[in-house]
Amino acid sequence: MVEFETALLAVAGAFVVFAVVALYRVFAGPTTFDRIIAVNVVGTNTVIAIALVAGAFDQSVFLDIALVYALLNFLLSIAFSKFTVERGGVL
Amino acid sequence: MTVPDPHRLLVPVDDSVTVRNTVAYAIDQAETLRRDGDAPVELHFVVVPGTRAVDPDAPEELGAATDLLDRVAVWTDEDFGGDPPEGLSVTLEVVGADRYLFSPGDYADVLLEYAADRDIGRAILDPEYNPGGAAPMLRPLEIELARNGLEVEEAPVEREARQTVLARAATLPKYLSVFAASYLFYLLLSPWKPLDFFTGAITATLVSALLAPIAFSKQPSITRVPVQLVRMTIYVPYLLWQIALANLHIAKVVLHPSLPIDPTVVRYRAAVWGDAPVTTLANSITLTPGTLTISVSDRAFNVHSLTDNSRDDLEAGGLERAVRFVFYGREAAAIASPGERDDCEEVTYDG
Amino acid sequence: MTPLEWAIVALAAVGAFFGGVAAVGIVRLPDIYTRAHAASKSDTLGAVLALAAVALAIQTDLSTIKAVFLLLFMFLTNPTAAHAIARAAEDQGIRPWAAENREGDP
Repeated sequence: MVEFETALLAVAGAFVVFAVVALYRVFAGPTTFDRIIAVNVVGTNTVIAIALVAGAFDQSVFLDIALVYALLNFLLSIAFSKFTVERGGVL
Repeated sequence: MTVPDPHRLLVPVDDSVTVRNTVAYAIDQAETLRRDGDAPVELHFVVVPGTRAVDPDAPEELGAATDLLDRVAVWTDEDFGGDPPEGLSVTLEVVGADRYLFSPGDYADVLLEYAADRDIGRAILDPEYNPGGAAPMLRPLEIELARNGLEVEEAPVEREARQTVLARAATLPKYLSVFAASYLFYLLLSPWKPLDFFTGAITATLVSALLAPIAFSKQPSITRVPVQLVRMTIYVPYLLWQIALANLHIAKVVLHPSLPIDPTVVRYRAAVWGDAPVTTLANSITLTPGTLTISVSDRAFNVHSLTDNSRDDLEAGGLERAVRFVFYGREAAAIASPGERDDCEEVTYDG
Repeated sequence: MTPLEWAIVALAAVGAFFGGVAAVGIVRLPDIYTRAHAASKSDTLGAVLALAAVALAIQTDLSTIKAVFLLLFMFLTNPTAAHAIARAAEDQGIRPWAAENREGDP
């Protein structure tokens, strides 16, 4: 049983590492949109990591957090891309 | 056939933000013409409904056209303060309802035919005129009309900020659908104690009261939606397979040491109509091999493709066909592929 | 570990692989549009696989439904977000990178 949880946690860790890798793009840019899309990837990876931790510890409460975080992540991308367009109406 | 008469005005109208001002301007022009000359002045307001050959919503489209004409009639009454004065006649007409209209050229043809039949010599265009919804309509139409001897003028009306209609009148099916969806969602996230059913009902009532007017752009149809959902279950495995392929493809390209990509943007007119099918297709294109929808304006998709292969897949149109099957049924799936229709063109960015 | 647990870990690991592809793609690809490819496709598949693993791993029924819901949500919103960003970039007049201007920089 212990091994299984460790494996899931390891995968969660991998997603965190990938999020950090994507952070390079947030830092490097060069355009705002590169940063936004990288932030989106970081957010997605965070959601997955939270969900995997929920799976590993069998804590379904964490799933609620992941769900809310996923909603926020989506809203963030949409809001950012909407505000940068002057005439509005991205979606 | 006589010479086109500049005292006969053609005003194509469409449900745009500036249509009211355009009508007012046209009436004003007609008044001026009538006062200056002694020739009788004719004012023709025409609506070209965006009829679609396989679209089951075509009757509604036609209804929208006649609705618009009714409104124009009310406006002319307002502006003339009753019936139009002597020497000035107003005609309201729906044209081209029996045609399959796709490009600005098709719309121009319909309008030109109407103009030629009635010796119309002058056209006033609404700057926001865009009946097919496909961008850009105004400029090509203007050129086409001018080339055929019409005096074309763009009504000098203010372009207001683009605003889409967000709230529409809510109906019982809308309230019920929103209520059902939010109630189910609430129950899904709750631990199913008796109290939750009660609080869920209250929350869902609130949500449906607040959001039903903006939740749907069209009336949800009780008969059509379940059928579409069933067809969707056939579509989803196909899509998943395509997604798996897409990802292997991307993984190969991204992890390849030399990064073998050749990105291009293709403008692509898809033969699907309506919000839900277009959204489904756009998202499916984004999820499948090497293609990404950049922008959609009604039916014109700008698709960014990563490699040559993916471009060919797009032209073969497998996804488009599948989406048509989901929303319109099997007979609609048989329309020619985008490649055969010649509906794909590469967008070049110069400089 | 039981076979089911092996399956779960395998799903999660494949998901992690695609998550990795997305991260590498975000860093390696040359412009916003190509990066959006990586963000929309690979990351979505990575998310879907990992969340499917979570749905299987979690024991209670209700949580499984939640995980499936999260999965569907990711599936719908990720491409939409990528599309919105790409569209905003296009509106701002950012030109796509083309193979011709491939220089020293990959």
